[in-house]
Amino acid sequence: MAIIRIEKLRKEFKEVVAVNDLTLDFEDSKITCLLGPSGCGKTTLLRMIAGLEKMTSGNIYFNDIKINDLPPRKRNVGMVFQYPVVYRGIDVYHNIELPLLKEGLSSKERKKRIYDVAEMVGIENSLKKNINQLDNATKQFVAVAREIARQPEILLFDEPITNVDANSKLQFKHAFKELTKQLKQTIIYVTHDQTEAMSFADKIALMNDGKIIQYDSPRKLYNEPETTFGGWFLGNPGMNFITQPCQKEDGQFKIKSDQFARTVILKKRRNIKGKVKIGIRPEYIKVSNEKLPYGIKSEIKRKSITIGGQYLLTIQRGDIIVKAKIPHKKGLGLSKNIWVEFPLDRITVFDNGNRIKEKLQYRE
Amino acid sequence: MYSKKKNEQERNTKTNSINKIALRIKNHFQKNEMKFAWYLLIPVLSFFLILNVIPTLWMIGLSFYKYSLISAAGPKFVGIKNFIDILSNNVIWNSFSKTFLFVLMGVGIQTILGILLGFLFWNSDRLPGRRFALTFLFTPMIIAPVAAGTYFKLIYDPTLGIGNYFIKSFFGLVVNFLGDASYAFFSVLLVDIWMWTPFMILMTLAALGSVPEAELEAAEVDNLPWLKRLRYVILPHSKFIIMLGILLRTIESFKTMDLIYTMTSGGPGNATELIAIKLFREAFASFNMGESAALALITLLSAIAFTSIYLFILQYKEKKV
Repeated sequence: MAIIRIEKLRKEFKEVVAVNDLTLDFEDSKITCLLGPSGCGKTTLLRMIAGLEKMTSGNIYFNDIKINDLPPRKRNVGMVFQYPVVYRGIDVYHNIELPLLKEGLSSKERKKRIYDVAEMVGIENSLKKNINQLDNATKQFVAVAREIARQPEILLFDEPITNVDANSKLQFKHAFKELTKQLKQTIIYVTHDQTEAMSFADKIALMNDGKIIQYDSPRKLYNEPETTFGGWFLGNPGMNFITQPCQKEDGQFKIKSDQFARTVILKKRRNIKGKVKIGIRPEYIKVSNEKLPYGIKSEIKRKSITIGGQYLLTIQRGDIIVKAKIPHKKGLGLSKNIWVEFPLDRITVFDNGNRIKEKLQYRE
Repeated sequence: MYSKKKNEQERNTKTNSINKIALRIKNHFQKNEMKFAWYLLIPVLSFFLILNVIPTLWMIGLSFYKYSLISAAGPKFVGIKNFIDILSNNVIWNSFSKTFLFVLMGVGIQTILGILLGFLFWNSDRLPGRRFALTFLFTPMIIAPVAAGTYFKLIYDPTLGIGNYFIKSFFGLVVNFLGDASYAFFSVLLVDIWMWTPFMILMTLAALGSVPEAELEAAEVDNLPWLKRLRYVILPHSKFIIMLGILLRTIESFKTMDLIYTMTSGGPGNATELIAIKLFREAFASFNMGESAALALITLLSAIAFTSIYLFILQYKEKKV
């Protein structure tokens, strides 16, 4: 429907730089999630795209047309806010109808569109209800339906399920997933919840301190974080990081560490400043009662159960503590005699906070 | 060293005993929560009783007596005669009708102007001179009515007044604003409007400030026409504060006395004799305490009726929504 391009977009609130010279292309008819911690500038970016916030500098293009000075009402965007925004004193049907009145549609066309959208969103039984009788979650569904019914080219969602209860959140996530399959709009979805981003997005723009840290597919973002921030922010818990000294020997960088059964090397890397950070996600760590070929004897310090029935283990390897997530296994209690292995193909190495594309290898 | 320890011990003993007393008080009140609530209410209830309930009951009682402060005769029970006299007195009816007209016109114009100006200053942080304009606009509200009355009496003066100076310069006329019965009512009404429009601006600004920003933004993104924004976004949130403003102004307007008394004392004739002035004259010029108490009671009941109808409409509309 529309390609959104932002170019050196910047927003300053007095001394605070909320959005720091961002350049990005949001793909046409795809869902892009702006993900990041609170205060990272994702909502400000979204509001600038909607036209609700003036940029300090930079440009925004919709389909190669510069829209910097276009007021929100002329941008043909739909926006769902964090707090369920509904028009008071009227029923759900009229709430959805209100923005359509200016579209020049006949009442029949309007009715069809409203019923179609209501069915799509799952509020067809509430159409005749007064808006004041609805709970927050349903009100948010009404807001979504209203924006979809307008059929704008771009749909913007600003953390739409932050203010609904836990049960409704699940319901909303499920409905939203189904809904987006049917929509053809370019969607930008702002969230600080990684599970939302992971389940909805075609692409995720991971943000921190007003900058885009990484813009990739959810899978790539999770498995190949470009920075330690990406590794830490994604996952529950995030990546384990172990700082290790790195020495150049015979044209190779060698990491001699008691965290590995054998010396590991980086063959192709040309330059490393002294130390590297080794990152591994908790679920990729191998844990066993029996001896693992590249494992190291370790101690389970703490064991807790996570949502989904997995065990979260706190493991001590020498003077380093890591978190591991393993499926439910019998007989793996708090023990000093377990074997833990970091599979090299699952390890991401960071130099100065940035990912080294090369994988670690055992020295032959 | 020894004295230091002793001091510390003494301090600890003192703290412990204070703690014990505090604990005992706490336990006592926890056991008697209702009693505690009543203790807290005593000061305000006493004030209410002494300053409101007793005088009102006194006034109700007095309204059934014939009692003049300048007569040697003591109070004499006359039943509802005072009320009959009042209700059959054309002058009093005239005062009532003037009061209603004053309230309706005054509050009506103040509301319209207040809302319009409120909208003008709403979200107008970038408007040049906003702060100065608002300070200037709010000044009348903080002036004492007696001072404002005196001030306008001078402006309106046919020989010395600056108002008449300008009228005379532009139109060659001299208008006797307060001395001519056909102008006096509107002249005092104008001052009341000047004084109290800022209050309605303030209420409107407070009301508009309660409209959630997200709803206004959604209406902008949805491209709703201005009237629809007003009806479905702005009014549902702001109407209660504006209505409260109107209600407060209505009650206050009913009681207007000092402002008009300073300017015209209810004259010329009885052109500006609102019910509060009539009441004042009856009580403190004619010293007919019985009749003035009856008149005060009727005024009180009229004001209650007026505001009750108003609140009923408000609640009824809310239920309908």
